[in-house]
Amino acid sequence: MTRGLWTRETVALLTLAALLPLAVFWLWLGGVEALFRLALILLVIAIWHLIFMLARAQPPSLSALVTALAIAMLAPEGLGTFQLILGISFGVVMGELVFGGWGRNVVNPATVALAFLGFGFPAAPWPVFDVPLAWAAIPAGVLGLALGVMPGALMAAAVVLGAAASLAGMVDDAVLHAAGIALVLLVVDPVTSAATTLGRWLQGAGYGGLVILFATGWGGAAPAQMAVAAALLASLAAPLFDDIALSFWVYRRRRRHGRT
Amino acid sequence: MAGQSQYWRVLTEPLIRQNPVTLQILGICSALAVTTTLATALTMSVSLTVVLTLAAGLISTIRRHIPETIRLIVQIVIVASLVIVIDQILQAYFAEISRALSVYVGLITTNCLVLGRTEAYARHHTPLPAMVDAFGNGLGYSLVLIIIGGLRELFGKGELFGQEVLPLAEAGGWFTPLSLMLLAPSAFFLLGLLVWAVRVWRPDQAEAREHVPPGEMEAAE
Repeated sequence: MTRGLWTRETVALLTLAALLPLAVFWLWLGGVEALFRLALILLVIAIWHLIFMLARAQPPSLSALVTALAIAMLAPEGLGTFQLILGISFGVVMGELVFGGWGRNVVNPATVALAFLGFGFPAAPWPVFDVPLAWAAIPAGVLGLALGVMPGALMAAAVVLGAAASLAGMVDDAVLHAAGIALVLLVVDPVTSAATTLGRWLQGAGYGGLVILFATGWGGAAPAQMAVAAALLASLAAPLFDDIALSFWVYRRRRRHGRT
Repeated sequence: MAGQSQYWRVLTEPLIRQNPVTLQILGICSALAVTTTLATALTMSVSLTVVLTLAAGLISTIRRHIPETIRLIVQIVIVASLVIVIDQILQAYFAEISRALSVYVGLITTNCLVLGRTEAYARHHTPLPAMVDAFGNGLGYSLVLIIIGGLRELFGKGELFGQEVLPLAEAGGWFTPLSLMLLAPSAFFLLGLLVWAVRVWRPDQAEAREHVPPGEMEAAE
């Protein structure tokens, strides 16, 4: 074992393990229909991983399971099979596989697929989350923190903002639930979230702030839609937050040690 | 004979091998904005091709008289005059399409494709080759616009030139339109996929890599 225990697949498996409470609760509440939906989405993603393995020698990854779970839970309901396949193909190929597979992607493939489905088929209703399902996001987040695959600073910033907004009565409970589920499924992804501590604080605050902004100002949007849109914008801004953190660090070093 | 084949080469080169949009990524602002339907895409293509060809001919004719220091101003004045003529013709005879194109016909003036061809080619060549080159570039631009416009109209509305091609689900057919196709991002996606497809087909068009991945750097040492 010359490369150590922490390979890409370890991270994927531990992320999946952290999300298990959420997945089990969702399957339990959703029943056979949810299982069928998850299987279909997983099949589409697996086929794309296979195609890219054969065409560009990119090893397939178990992260496909995480992506499939996120899409299955958050995708708008009532979409036709063809529409679902189109959205997933777009998200997985353009969001992840063209960059060289999981670990090199800039945005979370599930976020891209969900945004594509949401903007492409605005008539489809977004899923509504029951209260027990939203509570299941808490053990998922705690497990992710304990296993070390989810950034704590990001989660802390988002949770603090969410709690403050909830106390101030600015956001609905339904929005808070959807935002919590999207937080553990999409935003704290170990690959595409910010990589520096300051960047993570900023990204978490950005995500929370966007959710609050959408909840107060975006009339007619479903809670899950707000959460997905906020997740997309926050993850697009993650490199910017990292860059801000690095520039700040360089600036501070320069002031302390002079120009070197 | 040799002259004729040279003209043929100048004309066909910009269609795919030197395509101004997919290889040089010029003029994509208008290419993305006007491709919601095939009719607007076609009108824009024709307008740009006409303006480009005439501008190249005019600039090439007076190329020895344009002072070097103000050549850009002279070129823009010529292009802008032609654009105004085209715009007036569209407003007079195709009022509806002219409204759909809004400012983008006027913006042909500042299209980098037009200035690029007049600056790089027409200034150094006699009128006939300059016009052939400009016409070829206009056709290359038109090709991309028509492909993207056709795809967007087909999948966004199930129509081509306003004629129903795919029966819509609302009217008893089977096709559910992708409303995303009518939004600007889809044009970016389609253009990106098109560039990808062209560069897979002709790998010599791919740009040199800016960075070498760490793994390959170690392997090279």
